[in-house]
Amino acid sequence: MNEWEVAAAVLVAALVPCVWVCLRRSFAEGVVAVQLAGTIGALALLVVAEAEGREPFGDLAMVAAPLSFAGTLVFLRFLERMR
Amino acid sequence: MSLQDAVVYVLLGAGVACEVIACVGVVAMRNAYDRLHFVGPAALGAVLIAGAIWAREGPSGIALKATVVAVFLLVASPALAHATTRAARISERGDWRPQPSEGIEVEEP
Repeated sequence: MNEWEVAAAVLVAALVPCVWVCLRRSFAEGVVAVQLAGTIGALALLVVAEAEGREPFGDLAMVAAPLSFAGTLVFLRFLERMR
Repeated sequence: MSLQDAVVYVLLGAGVACEVIACVGVVAMRNAYDRLHFVGPAALGAVLIAGAIWAREGPSGIALKATVVAVFLLVASPALAHATTRAARISERGDWRPQPSEGIEVEEP
């Protein structure tokens, strides 16, 4: 394993606590965790692309980051309506 | 180990450390507002990781993609944090503005 693969493994492992917050805490706290998971997920894809030497994998990160942003905005819309 | 390798290690390590610290902060804090403070450093981690890719590859396709992702996260993350706080306050109190019961003094424009 080179340093990029180790970094990718650490980033993927960092998604687990975010999932835990989503499952165990309130909706608002879960949205915050989803926000962070989107950032970490996009970066993990980017690091995997670099680790494997496959540039097209970087496109996945470029798509994942804006989609995660849009998805979080949808969750925020639901959050505003929850009272 | 060359100087280039050392720079890559430092930037990559710092970037991943930023993400891990953000993750620990989001898990450890008490409520949504406290947790939001730790989402910001995640965008900084993206810049550091993009810097590591630049240091390793130089001007290339993957470096350009990393830069696009880092810039997007750097711009979108604060906006999303603001929107999240606003939505959480509306969900809790019905309005995002300070309420009289909170005892917050607001200067009229």
